[in-house]
Amino acid sequence: MNENPPLLEVDHVTKTYFHVHALTDVSFSVRAGEVVGLVGDNGAGKSTLVKVISGVHAPDSGSIKLSGVEQSFRSPRDAIEAGVETLYQDSGLAPDLSIGANVFLGREKLLPGIRGKLGFLAQREMDVQAHADLERVGIAVPTGRSTVSELSGGQRQAVAIGRAIAWARKVIVLDEPTNHLGARQAGEVLEVIRAARSQGLGVIFISHTLPHVLEVTDRIVVLRLGRLVRDAPTSEFDTNSLLGTITGLIGGDRDPALEAT
Amino acid sequence: MTQQGVDAPGPQGAAAVVEPAEGADGALERIRTLVRGQQFLLLIALVVLVVFFTIERSAFISQTEISNLLNDWSTVVLLAVGETFVIVSGGIDLSVGSTVTISGVVAAKVMGGMTGTSEPVILIVGLLVCIAIGLLVGAINVLLINVARLVPFVATLATLGAGAGFALVISGGAPVGADSQAIEFTTPKLWVFSWPVLAIIAIVVVSYLYLHYSRFGRFTFAIGSNRFAARAAGIAVKRQIAKIYMLSGLLAGITGMFYFLRLGSGAPTSGSGEELQAIAAVVIGGVSLLGGVGRLGGALIGAAILTVVTDGLVIINVNPNWNQVAVAGLIAAAAALQALRPGRGLTSSD
Repeated sequence: MNENPPLLEVDHVTKTYFHVHALTDVSFSVRAGEVVGLVGDNGAGKSTLVKVISGVHAPDSGSIKLSGVEQSFRSPRDAIEAGVETLYQDSGLAPDLSIGANVFLGREKLLPGIRGKLGFLAQREMDVQAHADLERVGIAVPTGRSTVSELSGGQRQAVAIGRAIAWARKVIVLDEPTNHLGARQAGEVLEVIRAARSQGLGVIFISHTLPHVLEVTDRIVVLRLGRLVRDAPTSEFDTNSLLGTITGLIGGDRDPALEAT
Repeated sequence: MTQQGVDAPGPQGAAAVVEPAEGADGALERIRTLVRGQQFLLLIALVVLVVFFTIERSAFISQTEISNLLNDWSTVVLLAVGETFVIVSGGIDLSVGSTVTISGVVAAKVMGGMTGTSEPVILIVGLLVCIAIGLLVGAINVLLINVARLVPFVATLATLGAGAGFALVISGGAPVGADSQAIEFTTPKLWVFSWPVLAIIAIVVVSYLYLHYSRFGRFTFAIGSNRFAARAAGIAVKRQIAKIYMLSGLLAGITGMFYFLRLGSGAPTSGSGEELQAIAAVVIGGVSLLGGVGRLGGALIGAAILTVVTDGLVIINVNPNWNQVAVAGLIAAAAALQALRPGRGLTSSD
């Protein structure tokens, strides 16, 4: 078992859109070097939870803590600066920019001296470091200035994940990173997730592909109708029991239906 | 720990994650050659046109005519530069034509009222007025786009119409002011170059460096390529958009002053249709109207091709009404050329 102290704590988070309870009193934590799977049916609240953790939305009540310190993210920028990287569903890369430019997007390195003060980029340095960063997390990409649009779907996804892992200091949130990927490419993405874990990052892995979740995670958190219904080690699940918990055929620890009675 | 037997990824694991597809390096190289080749083709087209007009009429490359060409190029090139930034960011600025007009007209009014002041001071005031008007139109565009959330096409169509209308109202429909000394400024002083043309070339060079080598340019490309990705990466998208439209307005204002210098007065329709010339130059230059792709070098050559064709047809005594047809043909040819580029053409099929 992972004995590290919690890195990310989601503490009694509730989020309502108009009159829809997207999240109701959700609490769980992620430790350093731990991959937590976040699963649930469509509308279970996964995307809302991702947006709360990554600073896109503020929770109505409850809080997000990093290494025990309460955070109040007002924008994705705040979350990024606190050490939380997010891979949004269907990738957040600029296809017409080079790999290096994408890895450093929003955190460009400037040249030293007066040229840097005038805003000029240290592109060569960024290209070299981008490739080193991606290689460090286990991603080999074509060298040179090829744009992301010239890469295959799997390569793009790998760059997006690599960028997130290269920058993440504490937590990385991966929303459906294996979507649209073939079996081999998905396997490679899972390999990268394991590499992130071995670097001591806390990983939240969101996926509809349950075999991937069972394969790569240490613990699984199941959401249903905005509530957390099960939070247990992955070893306690198999595909059938996980599917049952997601759909409600199998009651969780904190089943909304049971609580109602 | 939760390693579960997973080792740190070795180099062999790394190689497995993303290996270039068979022959990808060669394919990428070919694509790059093609893209580079597009600017090269434009340059060849320009040379061919110059050679053609020179054969038709040798005076085409006389010092006088080259100086004229440079002046004509300068009237459109700053607009094309501003338009390149805007289009690369995924927008469009239709208002630049009437910004040229209204800044020239207002500056002419102001300068006309400065009798007894020395000429250089008058012209500097005129330039400042033009810059102020350009920034004002840019700011209105920003309000309409960022605050009122109009799409750039509609927002700048509104300011295009309003600016043209204001220019007619302010001028009363007749040229404003008359400054014969001003025209002297646009005659060549250094070989074929007049001082304003040299200043404009300097602005073009700085713009080139900023679009392709600075963080400002990087943000511009990123927003045009994927606005959501830019925002998610922490880029202040609206602030960057604001700067881009202000820049376009600024360059249009400077162009307004250049028109005043060339005409010696503020003409109420001087910039009319110039926005389309600028957009044509940018499109001919291979900049994608979808945003995120393009080289300023292409737009500069595009502006040169437009200028050479327009002036050349006059010089060889072709009815000037054919000019529009020629420009349309150039745009179609450029779009067809762009279609050779993977995925981002202007043709409808892909």
